Amino acid sequence: MSEGLSSLTMEAMEGAKNRLASLGADLAQAPEEFRALASSVSGELMSGSGVRAATYLWILLLLGCGVEWLYWTYAWAPMRSIESMVAANPRQVFRLGARRFLLLGAGLLAFTLAVIAALAAFAWPKGVQEAVVASTLFILVLRLAWIGVSVLLAPGCGRLRLVPADPRNVRWLVLTVLSVAGLGAIGLFVPAVLDKVDGAPHAAGALRFAAVALACLILVFAAFRFLGEAGAPHAAPARRLPKFPRAIVVAVMVVAVFVLWLLASGTASAIAAVFAVVIVIQMKMRELVFFFWRDLIDGAVPDATDEGVEPAVRADPTLLPSIVLSTARFVVVLLGLGACAVALHAPMSELAASQNFVVRLGFQLLGVAALALFANVVWILVRTTIDYRLRRIGPHDPHAPANANARLLTLLPLLRTTAAVLLGVLLVLSSLWALGIEITPLLAGAGVIGLAVGFGAQALVRDVIAGIFFLAEDVFRVGEYVESGTTTKGTVERITLRTVALRHHNGPLHFVPYGSLGTVRNNSRDWVIEKFNIPLPIDVDSEKIRKLIKRIGQEMLQDPEVGPMLREPLKSKLARIDPGVKIFRCKFQTAPGNQFDVRAQAFKRIETELRALGIPFAGGSQTVIIERPPGIGPPGAAQAG
Amino acid sequence: MNLPLRNIRLVSGLILLAFVVGHLVNLSIGLHSLAAMEVWRAALVGPWQGTIGRVLLGTAALVHAALGLYAMAARRSLSMSKTDLVQLLLGVLTPPLLLNHVLMTSVASELTSEYEPSYGLLLAVYWSIAPGYAFQQLFAVVFVWVHAALGLHSWLVLKPLWRRIGGVVLPILFAVPIAALLGFAESGKEVIAKLAADPEWRAMIEASAAPIGEVRGRLDAIWSGTMAIYGGFVLLVAVFFAGRCLRDRLSRVTVAYDGGLVAQGRRGLSVLELSRMNEVPHADVCSGRGRCGTCRVRVDSGAAQLSPRSEIETRTLARVHGAESERLACQALVMGPGVAVTRVLPPFADAEAARQPQDWDEPARSPEGAA
Repeated sequence: MSEGLSSLTMEAMEGAKNRLASLGADLAQAPEEFRALASSVSGELMSGSGVRAATYLWILLLLGCGVEWLYWTYAWAPMRSIESMVAANPRQVFRLGARRFLLLGAGLLAFTLAVIAALAAFAWPKGVQEAVVASTLFILVLRLAWIGVSVLLAPGCGRLRLVPADPRNVRWLVLTVLSVAGLGAIGLFVPAVLDKVDGAPHAAGALRFAAVALACLILVFAAFRFLGEAGAPHAAPARRLPKFPRAIVVAVMVVAVFVLWLLASGTASAIAAVFAVVIVIQMKMRELVFFFWRDLIDGAVPDATDEGVEPAVRADPTLLPSIVLSTARFVVVLLGLGACAVALHAPMSELAASQNFVVRLGFQLLGVAALALFANVVWILVRTTIDYRLRRIGPHDPHAPANANARLLTLLPLLRTTAAVLLGVLLVLSSLWALGIEITPLLAGAGVIGLAVGFGAQALVRDVIAGIFFLAEDVFRVGEYVESGTTTKGTVERITLRTVALRHHNGPLHFVPYGSLGTVRNNSRDWVIEKFNIPLPIDVDSEKIRKLIKRIGQEMLQDPEVGPMLREPLKSKLARIDPGVKIFRCKFQTAPGNQFDVRAQAFKRIETELRALGIPFAGGSQTVIIERPPGIGPPGAAQAG
Repeated sequence: MNLPLRNIRLVSGLILLAFVVGHLVNLSIGLHSLAAMEVWRAALVGPWQGTIGRVLLGTAALVHAALGLYAMAARRSLSMSKTDLVQLLLGVLTPPLLLNHVLMTSVASELTSEYEPSYGLLLAVYWSIAPGYAFQQLFAVVFVWVHAALGLHSWLVLKPLWRRIGGVVLPILFAVPIAALLGFAESGKEVIAKLAADPEWRAMIEASAAPIGEVRGRLDAIWSGTMAIYGGFVLLVAVFFAGRCLRDRLSRVTVAYDGGLVAQGRRGLSVLELSRMNEVPHADVCSGRGRCGTCRVRVDSGAAQLSPRSEIETRTLARVHGAESERLACQALVMGPGVAVTRVLPPFADAEAARQPQDWDEPARSPEGAA
């Protein structure tokens, strides 16, 4: 292993040395070659064939520019209408940008087609055609770059900008992109012509080096200019967490790519560059995507306080951008891989049919990534929707009075967990399938094991299924006081997949599996009627007492403290007459849970009123008066229980 | 530039164009043969080689160049459409490129009586004896043609007539220079072949080219003298323009538009120039020549701060049925503060709006949104 590594290192070093040596030779011999080239080209030019090439070139330009000019006589008005439109939101700006891209791109296409058609039609002097093709490609690249920046950055028209950029930097950004694209195109196309047609390999190498070096230099400068402190002067440095400067990261990446190009090979550096670009884009992706939804996300912060007002935004505003974000991340990675394949000169169609294990594994991994993307999108859809609803309902508080949202509060997290588990299992299974692993035996095995476990876990299954029905039928919600059987009673604190947790009013927490919950008595639904008896002496006036208690009931209804709790006021009727005692039965109706407070209040008021009237409660003792003839001894008292 | 001057420039340009078309058509006959070129020369270029033709052509060229320079000197800013910029640059560059050709054809034959220019001789010069001139010539052909075609198109496209003749004129605008260049290339091939194969002809050509060598010094002197004068004029125009810009740079004016837009710029600029400099979308089909009427605005306030109407403006406004309160944004110069205008046509109005103004009298402004 170590031997292989060391030989690999030696090989790399040897290659680097060779490349540096050839670069040195290029640079040393380039001036001479350029001189020879210039004299031969000028000699060639100052002759009949040179004039002919120039004539054809002019026809080419006339045709290309003329066709595009003609195109713009039609496309100009739509373009103006797009540029004068005022978009209602950033998404519309994006659509406008897409339309601008189409219009500009169609113009470029018209130009290119006309030029290529004319190019093919002429019999060019020797060697000129390659040069013309190279310059056409150069113009194409430059104009494509221009279309790209003018759609994305919209210099001179801030309303149409598609990426977040400091307006003061836009002009320089455009210049940077154009110069780098131009240098790249020069480095890509011109040396090939020099090498093949004019037989000047050293000049080609020197030119390539100059173009790449200059492009990298510009990129490094741009990194410090746009990503450094100067790029974000308005962000208060004191408020920010210190981060590693992004400018240095980008600059190091650029330099690394350049050094790789210098020492290793063009392919390796191209792949490294693709990786760097993908990483930078992934770093910026969230900002780039959310830029298009900034109006909704900044505008509509979910607010739990306005329960009555239905917000205009039904769904979470971050839902769509989140999905777009994950899709875009995947697409960028895919494009990066495609670019790597192009850099490696790997033919796609052959690759797809290849039997090579690594290649096939790569494709299978891509499939798995696509599945993961799909699962991620579904998961984001479920999670953001549920989280948004939960946020809007408000925080979880088991001791607050139960309201209509309590059921959502119990069901939604449960649903979220279930969805996560389900998605995870499906993803794992389908990934295995995509990797070519047979999952049928796995499923069959799982079926057998499931059967076995199912017998063993009957109770568990019963609990889970019973729980689903308890929740679906809305038997209880978090915060409600329920009784099941004689001993299990309490406030519902937590609902899980298998059990419900009941807090007894004395403190203990009951964990009751749904399966053994049985009949449930829910004490917190709708209303309760509270009844109590008042025993009074036999000689009180029943009608007077009834009116008195009714008056107390009306007064309690007016009371700011207990009044709102009452659903029906306190009333009474004579229920029973026992020896020496009249029993009045009082009742009232309240919202669940309030009956005890209201009853205490009612007792207090009744007692006060009765005392004021001088009516005592019927004593536990009965006074038995024995009739005696007058004058025989003093009266005596006997007590009976 | 007022109306008569503009018409003179137009007419002189058309005269020059007529000559150029004839000349280029003659060149394109080179696609057939060198002999046919010579045969047709009498019909196509001949009329311009008589005294009247030469005087007419020379006057037209001088007048056109002078009025072009005058128009540039009269510019208030460099804000113009891309095609205008191209036309202007090509126009400025044309005289230096063309002068050599003029010297070698007509002036040289004045200077020495033995010299008789012919296509055979000139093509031999261009393709074999001195190819450097050919490059100049190619530039000149393309520049002249593009300059002329842009001017002709921008003039004709505004007229209702364009709907009928556009389908014919546009292909011609493309075909003439391309055919001429192809003819140039083909006849060049023929000339080279003939020079190689026919020593007699070669000797004849060399003999007739000899007189040029004699007057070469005088031709060069004329060239440099003319160029010095021309360069002086161009420089003067540039200085004049820069001086005007510098003079007005400190006095700023502001114009308010419908839709809450505001433009700011130097005093003395037209409303349209202010719109362009401040990214205010504004229709300008003829790009500020006062011909199309699409840039017209309703003046809501500050009418007294705008320059008075010129004849160009009055006529165009009458043609497009402009109301009393309306002005052409390209002609109304903002001389003071407090000007507020409403754009009458949407910014995407095209040449159809100039050809058929009644269709746009009550423009549907809905597609434009709030702008």
